[in-house]
Formats: sequence, structure tokens, C-alpha cells
Amino acid sequence: MAAAAKQIQLLARQLFKLSVVDGVVSPDRVAGVLQYIEKSAPAHSVLALKAYRRLIATELAKSEALVEHAGAVTAPALGAIATSMTQKYGRPITTATRANPKLLAGLRVRVGDDVYESSVSSQLATLSVSV
Amino acid sequence: MSTVLEQIEQQIAKLSTKAVKKNTGNIRTIADGVAKIDGLSDVMYNEMVAFPGGAIGIALNLEESEVGCVILGDVSQLKEGDEVQTTGKLLSVPVGKALLGRVVDALGNPADGKGPIDSKETYPVERIAPGIMARKSVNQPLFTGIMAIDSMIPIGRGQRELIIGDRGTGKTTIAIDTIINQAKINKVGLASGDAKFRPVYSIYVAIGQKSSNVVRTVAALEAAGALEFTVIVAATAADNPANQYIAPYSGAAIGEWFMENGMDALIVYDDLSKHAVAYRQISLILKRPSGREAYPGDVFYLHSRLLERAARLDGKGSLTALPIIETLAGDVSAYIPTNVISITDGQIFLETDLFNQGIRPAVSVGLSVSRVGSSAQIKATKQVGGKLKGELAQFRELAAFAQFGSDLDAKTKAQLDRGARIVELFKQPAFSPSPIELQVSVLFAMQKGFFDPIDAKKVVVAAANMKNFFTTRKDALLTEIRTKAALDKDLEAKLQAACDDWKSGYTA
Repeated sequence: MAAAAKQIQLLARQLFKLSVVDGVVSPDRVAGVLQYIEKSAPAHSVLALKAYRRLIATELAKSEALVEHAGAVTAPALGAIATSMTQKYGRPITTATRANPKLLAGLRVRVGDDVYESSVSSQLATLSVSV
Repeated sequence: MSTVLEQIEQQIAKLSTKAVKKNTGNIRTIADGVAKIDGLSDVMYNEMVAFPGGAIGIALNLEESEVGCVILGDVSQLKEGDEVQTTGKLLSVPVGKALLGRVVDALGNPADGKGPIDSKETYPVERIAPGIMARKSVNQPLFTGIMAIDSMIPIGRGQRELIIGDRGTGKTTIAIDTIINQAKINKVGLASGDAKFRPVYSIYVAIGQKSSNVVRTVAALEAAGALEFTVIVAATAADNPANQYIAPYSGAAIGEWFMENGMDALIVYDDLSKHAVAYRQISLILKRPSGREAYPGDVFYLHSRLLERAARLDGKGSLTALPIIETLAGDVSAYIPTNVISITDGQIFLETDLFNQGIRPAVSVGLSVSRVGSSAQIKATKQVGGKLKGELAQFRELAAFAQFGSDLDAKTKAQLDRGARIVELFKQPAFSPSPIELQVSVLFAMQKGFFDPIDAKKVVVAAANMKNFFTTRKDALLTEIRTKAALDKDLEAKLQAACDDWKSGYTA
């Protein structure tokens, strides 16, 4: 079982490497990988695809700044975030938005594992810990 | 008025709109106090990780696609998908004198219901042991109050002396006796007003013990008035393995504070067998490769890095360690016992057979050793007890031969008689350590043959009577032995006279 899990991880990583061109996930390459899986049907293909999906999702998250907001966010503000993050991480980063009323006010920007938060809810949480 | 405004302004400043960066991840799986986490790309080895609900984790496995964390605290509220974040800090515990007299958990939080601990400093739980140049040789005694140990297997300040034996042979009792004795010495020393006196503070770390045992230990220390000089770190059997794994390191950090600040401390790890078992459990769940007896490959380093933190530092204080190991059927050649034996500076081996024969403490003289040796003894003890170990070894050998024959020459018979009396003399009830001056007096009496006319079976009663006699009527002499720490001709004459005095009034 352990050996099989290792093989699955190895295959997923190989497929992932094939899907990335110049540090960016290529949709064409991903389509090619999926075609290959469909044709060749390797052992444990479902598990391998799940592992492959996780790696791709992690990589895609690094190229996208997910902006959570409580109020409205203007287009120039999103542009400024995209520019600033692209500069910071040294790769092209696009923005996506999601409304999150739990923030009360302010923004929460997620790029990969990094979260930049400037919201009332996080300030209140900090305050509750310090009191 | 202005102070109030300043406070409000400070609060507003805290609530400024500056963005805070966090590195986060999500729980993928969680089982038995160990979580596998996706993300946390910036996490460092051994870094504290914040879980929802205030639980703390430590990153132990940094893998390509996931991070393995042990969780300290309540895991019942955690679930798959929960967000966790790095803290940028290593796990630390509160340290200082504010912890004395308290029972704390593995994270240094109070566990005795006596309210918060007013500690101003924290020390990291994992620290690199002091280097070679910072150390000083061990040559100051740490009296256990147990005659068999202080006279034959002396322990020095900064030493690591293993207490090893089967279950129910009195390992914890020896450790508790030692802690009680430190408290007694501290009280006498502090009351004397001697500026050079260095008290010894104690830390008792309970790892995987039954909670009822910990309660009993606390009660024994409290009854003996030793709790005020003691910190108890408890990670009981009810705590998760992560807490049991971290508890000895927390205790070491608390002890290191005393050592670094020019004080002496004693730490008891009760016991490292259960510690190794807790670490094995964590390692197996983390899917680390297992080796002999399913322990992970770094189980030696687990204990060596812990015990190396005990030291005597040049120009500072000391930390003496008394690790405890429980053996199965007296097998000292098992994996964990041999590891710890090789790390420590000696061992006190307790035998089930001796215990069952009523010889308590059941110290096996042949298998017990202190590698520091007589350099950790005062001169008076060396003078009266220097040959004891040899005499006892001879006695054991002769006693084995004597079983096969009845015709013994006078010399052999005398040696057997002497040995039987020494064995009886070393019997000592639990939780009643003897001061070193009293031990010297009794051993002096034994060397001078004052116990020879007494029936071997009545030596225990006679020794107790003698101790009582010296304590109540020869207090000045005991004080003189304690302060001089060596027997000159004048002191020997006084001791001889005191023993004669006792003999004249004692009827067996």
C-alpha cells in the first residue's frame, strides 16, 4: 500500500512538471496530460488524478490573488493589488474577488499560502487575544 | 486624564489599517493529536503553529507536499479543512521562581487551580545544550538523603544519574526523597544565613503517569514542606502524546533558568520509558520510518539532547538530572534502557528481589555506579564510607558461597556478619531522608564496631535509636560535622565519645 502511494505521488509530480511552462501552468499541457491519462489508464488513475489536481490547484493559487471584501472594491484598487503582488512575488498575478461579510470592513488578500489581512474582524480578534 | 487619552490612542494605533501577513495552511487529516497540513510553505522546523480555538501545534515533519504537526491541547474541536497559521515563534514556557510550589502542564499553564503564574520570562522548550567550554567538572555533592546512595553511589551537582528498575521497586520514592532532602537542606542553609549557601530547586516532570500518582507525589512533597522549592510539570496518561513528548523539554527549560541565573536545580524525569513510547506513537502516526522495537531512528537523540542539557556551568549554576527508566523483568539490556545508560553518568539499579526481601531502598550495589565517583563526596563520607562498596561486594560473594557449607572460618564469618549489618543499616523508610552529618555519624559507629554486638535483625531499630540520640542530644556535634565536612582527630574523638554515650544508654 505504501509503495503504491509513493508511485501515485511520483506519477502526479511527473505529470505536474509536464504541465508547467516557464513557471506557469499551461492549459494546453494540462489538456494533453488528461488525454494521456484517459488513453493509457495507469494503475490507480483516480488517485493519481486527485494528487495531480492538488498540485495544479496549489500552483494556480500562487498566481492568483483572491481578494475577499466586505464592502465594494473598485477596479483601480484591484489593479493596484495585482501590480503590487506581481512585483512582490516576481510572477504575473491576476485578481479574483469574493464577498465576505464576516470581515465587517476591509480586505483579505490570499496568494498561495500567504494571507494579507486588513479587516475589522481580524483587528477585533487581535484585540480579544490581547485583552 | 491624559493617561486615559493615551491609552485610547494606543488602542486606536493597534487597530490601524496596516495589513498583516500570515502564512496559512489547511488541515488535511487529523488523528491522535497529529495533523497533516496542506500549505504552510514558510513554516520552520519546530515552529509553533496556531490552530483554531487556541490550540498550539509544533511542525515536526516538513515534507514536499505537507507538514506534519503535533497538537498540544484540546483537539476535539478541530476538523478537516480548518485553517492554521504560522506564528514565527518557537515553543516557549514561562520560567522563574514564580513557578515554585506550582503544578503546571507541558506548556507551563497552571494545572493546580491556584490561579495564574506571575512569570516575567519565557525560555524556548528546545535549546541546544551548553557547549564544552561553558562547562565545569562535577565536584559538588548533591545529597539524596539516602545512605546507600550518598555513601556508595554519590551524585554531584550537574550530573545525570539514571534510576532504573522494574515497576514497583521504589524508583519514584528515591527521586521524591531526593527532592525532600534538598528542601530540608535549603531550609537549614537559608536559616543559617550563610552567604555562600546555594539552595537546590527541584523540578519533577511526570510523563505518562497516572493522575492519582501525581496527586500522591504532590501530597508527599507538601506534607514534607518541599513543595515550596519544587515545580511539578505534569503530562499525565490522560494527556495526548504530544504533551507527554514535550513535557521533559519544558521541565528542562524551567531548570535551565535556574542554572543560567547562578542557581542550582535538580530535575527528575519520571519516566523516560513512557516518554519514548509517546514519541514512538507520534513518529508512527507521522509515518516516520521505524526501527528496533518500532522506535524511530532518532530515539537516541530524543534522550541525549534532553540529558545533555543537564550541566554544571562555569561561573553560573548547575542542573542535575535524575532520569527514571522502567525495565521489564529486570532486563537492562533492552533498547531504551541501554540508550539512557550510555548517555548518563551512572545508574542506580533497583532490584525486585531485594525489594521483596525487605531491603528498601532496593539498590543493587553491584550494578549501580556513579561515574563521577568520590569527587562528588565530602571528605567525611569518604573517610567513613570509602570501603563500603567493596565490603558489600565481598559480602554478596561470600553469602552466595556460604549457602553451600556450614563450616566457615572466623574471618569469613566476621565478614558475613559485617555485611549483614551494613545491609540492615542501609534500610531506610520512604520519605525520610537523612542529613549527611547523621549518615556520617552512623557510618562512623558502624566502622568502629558499635553495631557488632547487636543482633543483625535489630540493627535497623538500633540505627534509628542512634539517629534519634544524635538529633536530640548531639546537635552541636552534627552541626560541626556539617560545617567542617571532614573528620579531624578532634571530631573523631568527639564522635567516639558520643557513640560510647549512646552505647551506654542503649539496650537492644
